[in-house]
Amino acid sequence: MNRFCFPGWIDRLLPWSAAIATALAVYVTGVVIVGAAPSTLDVGYKPEQPLPFSHALHAGKLKMDCRFCHNTVDRAAFAAVPTTATCGKCHSGADMSGVTATTSVHANSPKLLAVRESLATGNFIGWKKVHDLPDYAYFNHSAHVARGVSCVSCHGRIDQMDEVKQVKELSMAWCLECHRHPEPHLRPKELVTQLDWVAPESPEVLGAKLREALKIQPAENCSTCHR
Amino acid sequence: MSSVTSTSAAARAYWRSLDQLQQTPEFTEFLHREFPVAASEFPQGFSRRRWLQLMGASFALTGAAGCRWQSDTLASLPVRPANRVPGVPQTFATSWELGGYARPIVVTSYDGRPIKVEGNREHPDSLGATDALSQAMILHLYDPDRSTAILQQTEQPAVERSWDEFAAELEPVLAAVKASGGAGLRVLTETSSSPTRSRLQTRIASEFPQAKWVEHNAIPVRNAIAGAELAFGRALRPHLDLTAADIIVTFDDDFFGHHPAGVRLAREWADGRVPEAGPMKRLYAVESQFSLVGGVADHRLPMKSSDIPRFLDALEELVDKGLAGAPIEESHDDSYGLKFLATVAADLLAHRGKSVVSVGETQAPAVHARAYRLNSKLGNIGATLSFLPVPDPSPIAAELSTLVEELQAGKVELLLVLGGNPVYTAPAGIELAAAIRQAKWSVRLSNYVDETSLACQWHLPAAHPLECWGDGISESGRLTLQQPLIAPLFGGKSDIELLAWVLGDVDATSQSLVRQTATTLLPADRFDKEWRKLIHDGFWGKPAATLSPTLRADLNLPAATPAPTDLELVLTPSPSTYDGRFANNGWLQETPQPLSKLTWDNAALIAPATADELGLKTGSLAALHVAGQTVELPVYVLPGQAPGSIGVALGYGRTAAGHVGGLLSDGIAAVGVNVYGLRTGAETVLTKATLKGTGRQYPLSTTQDHHAIDTVGMTEIAGRIGELVREGSLGEYEAHPDFAQHKVHHPPLESLWKEPSSDGRAWGMSIDLSRCIGCNSCMVACQSENNVPVVGKEQIARGREMHWIRIDRYFKGDVNQPEIVTQPVACHHCENAPCEQVCPVAATVHSPEGLNDMAYNRCVGTRYCANNCPYKVRRFNFFDYNAKYEAANTELSRMLMNPEVTVRERGVMEKCTYCVQRIQNVKIGAKNEQRAVRDGEVVTACQQACPANAIVFGDLNDKSSRVAALHAGPRSYAMLAELNVQPRTKYLARIRNPHPWLATAAEVHGHEEAHG
Repeated sequence: MNRFCFPGWIDRLLPWSAAIATALAVYVTGVVIVGAAPSTLDVGYKPEQPLPFSHALHAGKLKMDCRFCHNTVDRAAFAAVPTTATCGKCHSGADMSGVTATTSVHANSPKLLAVRESLATGNFIGWKKVHDLPDYAYFNHSAHVARGVSCVSCHGRIDQMDEVKQVKELSMAWCLECHRHPEPHLRPKELVTQLDWVAPESPEVLGAKLREALKIQPAENCSTCHR
Repeated sequence: MSSVTSTSAAARAYWRSLDQLQQTPEFTEFLHREFPVAASEFPQGFSRRRWLQLMGASFALTGAAGCRWQSDTLASLPVRPANRVPGVPQTFATSWELGGYARPIVVTSYDGRPIKVEGNREHPDSLGATDALSQAMILHLYDPDRSTAILQQTEQPAVERSWDEFAAELEPVLAAVKASGGAGLRVLTETSSSPTRSRLQTRIASEFPQAKWVEHNAIPVRNAIAGAELAFGRALRPHLDLTAADIIVTFDDDFFGHHPAGVRLAREWADGRVPEAGPMKRLYAVESQFSLVGGVADHRLPMKSSDIPRFLDALEELVDKGLAGAPIEESHDDSYGLKFLATVAADLLAHRGKSVVSVGETQAPAVHARAYRLNSKLGNIGATLSFLPVPDPSPIAAELSTLVEELQAGKVELLLVLGGNPVYTAPAGIELAAAIRQAKWSVRLSNYVDETSLACQWHLPAAHPLECWGDGISESGRLTLQQPLIAPLFGGKSDIELLAWVLGDVDATSQSLVRQTATTLLPADRFDKEWRKLIHDGFWGKPAATLSPTLRADLNLPAATPAPTDLELVLTPSPSTYDGRFANNGWLQETPQPLSKLTWDNAALIAPATADELGLKTGSLAALHVAGQTVELPVYVLPGQAPGSIGVALGYGRTAAGHVGGLLSDGIAAVGVNVYGLRTGAETVLTKATLKGTGRQYPLSTTQDHHAIDTVGMTEIAGRIGELVREGSLGEYEAHPDFAQHKVHHPPLESLWKEPSSDGRAWGMSIDLSRCIGCNSCMVACQSENNVPVVGKEQIARGREMHWIRIDRYFKGDVNQPEIVTQPVACHHCENAPCEQVCPVAATVHSPEGLNDMAYNRCVGTRYCANNCPYKVRRFNFFDYNAKYEAANTELSRMLMNPEVTVRERGVMEKCTYCVQRIQNVKIGAKNEQRAVRDGEVVTACQQACPANAIVFGDLNDKSSRVAALHAGPRSYAMLAELNVQPRTKYLARIRNPHPWLATAAEVHGHEEAHG
């Protein structure tokens, strides 16, 4: 029986194939690492919302405070998404007798149909969650707002966004960066919702003063966020 | 320690037999029962977002949008109710009813969804604590086995109907019944304290004078009342006050068990057992079967229940002699019983007006009457024992046997069966299911399609107590409100709504009915204000005025007759399932029964002596024969059981409980054995029983003996128990208050590691063994708070239970009259934690405040930590126990989960976190207000539930905190401190208060003996 033997020139290919295999492994690993990184996966996430609400208009142009709608942000873990009743303060449609309040803004706009429907039926408007932490991470808004960490630190210039998108990684490494060195992100707590605020002095220096005054000692242990 | 080694020996034998039996068909069935449907179905619809989903490389390459975890929708309320902050739990005071008394609770609601039961701090019958059943009742709200529809069962298979269709069918029947003055109307219920139900019952009696109202209770609740009727000539119920009782003598009375005042009595008892706080109470227990009360008793006499009347006679006789002036002298008889008798009599006489003799519901009314007379002679009535009025029986009340006769005679037009489960709990000789089928119309209102529902023509879904309004009277006689936390999930109705329907108020809601009752009970001029107070506080008004009745002049109690010498059978409510209503409650089924540590079964508890006599061992399957009836059930040899007495728990062997407790129609075998059929009436003590081995074995699943590795290990453990759980007599304590700290001597401890420093807060816990009664309330509270999974009998048998806190029970002394000590053990949060030192991935690490944190996502499941943990408190998820919550058919059970605690995956280690979610929430709140955390502000779930106040939690670095004071106290000791693990949980040594006449040598020389 004839035994199969590889021809001799195969030997010359061996170093090349080893090199290609290594390069491929490095490439695939690199793609996976880069591809799975929160900066790739999550930054820029912009889900389509059920109605075209513009933060740029309300918070930017009209200068409404963030807490007008997200009114539990300074006292609860969760920055409440406004009830439809909040929208209805300005955007109510015609009432039962067909009369529209004179103060109502865009009372008949088709874009606000979802608001009027929710008001009439009592069903919720299903907003899509943009900044979505994993279930095992327990973030508390009030703890940050009460210490003078502005909305802008994590959410970016929401007041300039028509459609809200995620601009920061919101990964654990990113959280820890600030927990280890919070000074640049601290400001007087009454200014947390002023997204266009610029520190009058070096943010580092001001932050250090505020940190001293409020005794801010951000924790880095597991149970701070994981329970 | 002989009993310890002997029980260990029994456990070892049992383990060997279990291994042999693991492959039997029964075992496969048990496995199947635990994962009824979910295991074989892939999750549909709902899926929790998972980190692992992100890790798939192939997804990463297909583009960013495709690999985000599932997007979440924010369902914000269209209009937010006042005071509602999304994600911030709210609490509401409410109650539920068991055994004819309201049990006050406070329920935590998370975004409109009740998730946790706590005690009501302001209610004197709760004092902020609960029993285990109250903690577990919430599980039934989200039980996927709950009945969801109205079933017309005259058709086969049963047809689902709407309420309107039911109303249309009921209308002519009601009209006919009404026309005949209710001649054919029968209502079958359990006893209830609800004023609303009582009001409707009175209306039914007047509008349907020919109707009859039958109350059937599986567990007797009226013997003590009947005894009062004998003794005082009027029906009254006894009300114990242990604060004033220095000497307590109980006869078969487990008033820490399912007693309506159990929580309050446990607190009163525990407050009188702290040697630093003043004189200690002393408890004597005479009982056939180890109860919680017997477990904490200073002296316990195991005695057949049928011999107890004679013993009480003898005690009264001796006390009479003493009262006549004859001194009671110490008995030097060989018989422990006689010594015990003389001691009790002497102690009672020395504490007139400050003692109490209490008899349990297993005993007949005459025995209660005798105890009342004894208390009267001792001047205890009005001091430690008073009485409260009971409502007059309804003019239309009737007996169950009468109802059955009428049903069989075809006289019943409309039968309403509300609550209870009479078909399952009916005694032998009453063919209730067959009789109910003779009724022209039978309607059943129940949370489950249970055994009774199957016998009725119509089944209606009942509202859970957390879904409807109601009211009740708590043990101390306070009006206690029940308010809904959530709208009925399946459109169920409450019993009062159905009764109102019968009376013609079709549209009456439970709220309107309760409010209407309240108008008759609350002051009319400021009704709205008082009603709001009732809703806020959960109760209203002062306790009912107690009575101190005098004995009937012609009270003549015949001497008790000697009981037959053959075996007796004592039927008790199960610590887990009560009368069977909690059979489908996985939490309770899996909570080890306090004394036997049995899970998922009932067994014939017999004394070691009886076992030797009958040639039976733990795990032998035996035939129990009494009064012509026979059942086969496994034997469990329990040291301390009275010789000649067989104890069996009621409430098992359900055939239509659900996928946990047994569902014959789905091929799911019952848990345990039903012994209701052994009774012929409501009696719970049956004489002339026989128990005979069948030669077969039955695998029982118990906890505690798990960590036995081999014989050497078992002997070592037995030898060290005295070091793990330290106790001494009051005399020992008075001589050396810090005796507990000197039980173990070790060289100076030096750490291999750099000692962690802790300058800020240092969380710590103190557990007072003098207070602990071993009631399991903390275990269920922890399970509820921390999303601890239920694993099933088969996994328990393999030692894979998941409880974060367990209660170790140790026997001590003579195997026939052992003493018991219980010790709750959870993670000790060692400063020098052995688990942290061996974790290869730093999944368990220390926080600066001393918490031993567990990062589930880092854990790779090596289990080195569990190996290295000296306390054996780490638990490993061998399976994805929570997968069942992701299955599409169990959307309901997911609602139970505490969103503040991560639900763990398969393959990770978990353990007590000191309720870190509660710590964090308190800390954040305090910091937001720029203030320090106050002492007592952080309350762990186990601490909150503890009726005895045995657990104290707080900051050890705050020298004014309660926990720091307790840690510094002389009784404080650290378990296994010689390992230099520096645990943050410390125990306070248990102090017994033995009478010198009965003190054993061990109590006199305890310290020396420990040195062995």
